[in-house]
Amino acid sequence: MSAPILELKNISKHFGNLRALDGVDLTIEEGQLTGLSGPNGSGKTTLFNVVSGFYTPTAGQVIFQGKDITKLRPDQRAAMGLVRTFQSNVLFNDASVLDNVVWASSLRSRTGSLAAFIGTRKHREEERAIVAKAREILEYWGFSGQEKILASELPHGDQRRLGLAVASATDPKLLLIDEPVGGIGGEERENVVRHIKQLQERGITMILVEHHVKTILAIAERFVVLDFGRKIADGAPLEVAAQPNVIEAYLGTRG
Amino acid sequence: METYWTYSRIKAIAVAVVALVGAIVLAYAGSEKILTYLIPAYIWAIVAMGWTAIFRTGQFSLGQGAFMMIGAYSSAILTTSVAETTQITSAIFQLPVLVGMLIAAVISGVLAFIIGAITLRLGGIFFCIVTLAFNEVIRIVAVGLPHWFGGVNGILAPFPGPFGIDFQHSKRPFYLLTLMILVLAAIVFWRLDKSRIGSRFRAVAANKNLAEHTGLHLAKYRIIAFTVAGTFAGLAGALFGHYLHVVTPTLFGMAEAIMVLIMCTAGGTRSPVVGATVGALVLSPLGDYLTSKLQGGKLMVFGIIVLLVAFFLVNGISSAPDSIKDLIVGRMKKVRA
Repeated sequence: MSAPILELKNISKHFGNLRALDGVDLTIEEGQLTGLSGPNGSGKTTLFNVVSGFYTPTAGQVIFQGKDITKLRPDQRAAMGLVRTFQSNVLFNDASVLDNVVWASSLRSRTGSLAAFIGTRKHREEERAIVAKAREILEYWGFSGQEKILASELPHGDQRRLGLAVASATDPKLLLIDEPVGGIGGEERENVVRHIKQLQERGITMILVEHHVKTILAIAERFVVLDFGRKIADGAPLEVAAQPNVIEAYLGTRG
Repeated sequence: METYWTYSRIKAIAVAVVALVGAIVLAYAGSEKILTYLIPAYIWAIVAMGWTAIFRTGQFSLGQGAFMMIGAYSSAILTTSVAETTQITSAIFQLPVLVGMLIAAVISGVLAFIIGAITLRLGGIFFCIVTLAFNEVIRIVAVGLPHWFGGVNGILAPFPGPFGIDFQHSKRPFYLLTLMILVLAAIVFWRLDKSRIGSRFRAVAANKNLAEHTGLHLAKYRIIAFTVAGTFAGLAGALFGHYLHVVTPTLFGMAEAIMVLIMCTAGGTRSPVVGATVGALVLSPLGDYLTSKLQGGKLMVFGIIVLLVAFFLVNGISSAPDSIKDLIVGRMKKVRA
């Protein structure tokens, strides 16, 4: 078996006296789709922020593809292929649907800022290739014919889906998805779930923060539950969902 | 393949050519009096374009006056030959004025880079406050080092005089020099905006979290904008110094930094060049006129203008043609329906 794509070693994040994360260990294998859940305030979002680089952990190490990235900025992590999506404010709102994807996918461009400023032929060719690729991505995600619409004018569910398209345009190796189906339902939810499955088929490793346990049970290969900043369960989704301490964390004890 | 000659591109080039031809015609047809209004307006337009570029990365600079000051003093010190009148011991460089102005722009750009590298990691209100304070720092340094900066009396800034052109007795050569630098600034800021750097500016401003998490180094793009803006503010300040023939510690400061902000917001920030230019062309001559007619009333009038723009032309004066067109088209649709 190959080395794990992500290793969290004894991660703690304290805000004053509040232990948002308290010694969390987590190893993610390449290609795996992991569901991460827990009651409100259990540390899910903090964990995402530590992995994506928005927070520096109080203690512990974040190791991505064998390299210690604990001290790297979010943009440096994104350049390595570790990308996250957001729960709200997921898009470049004042920009068109096409620009949203173009901006995200020009991350991998090779020509430098000076070449871009002068507008060398090589740079222009590359820009054209990026736009062409962005159009392909939009078609794949079901946005053909909508490229000129402002992202903020899309319906809520479509914005979520476009958020995933934008994240996938960066060519991620590990994608952290924050509540992809939060606040949407029915057909839209099915649609998002189907796209996540397609990303999975393309071999992208994913961690999914999600309250909607049914979604996790439907697509995740592994289910991790946090409570009070600690990992209380980790294993096959159906088994974890039946564990007494997980049910207790969600519903409280009887009597 | 994308068509190169799009409608908007042709329109932009046509507007630019007409504006340039008009400006050159004015140099020969206009009176000296008109040129005394236009030269400062062009200089402010250069500074305003820089402010707009910074604003378009989502930052709010209150320090462009300081960079004008740095440019003005640097160029004056590098070029002055009059030591005794200003108690300056440093009339040692005596460089040609154009060379001095160029070096002044570089000094100003380097300082903008340093200030930016320190403050733009945080950005937002921290950046705003530091740039505000920077105006005062420059003034205090200028007053505190009289041997270099001439103290409160300031320092003489010689007229430029390359190729034996007479800058002293006619405003026209200075007007044309200013116009050339304005055109250079417009090209640089336009290119910056149309290139990928410009779209990254917009990405950083539109959603900094998403931009950072899709791989953009926020500070890098903010620093690029701030440095280019600082360079041109320095060049503009140097130009102004040589135009006025003297640089004093109160020449530019907080009030001027806020003037630039008003010009940009009134003119509009939707374009990297047009809004700033329109704002400067309207407000700079108006300000000069008001200063001569009603003392102290200038800022009041400017305040009213900003309010009017905010109420009726959210995208600035430069968007007026589009707004009027929308209004007429809207009315016509109503009439038809």
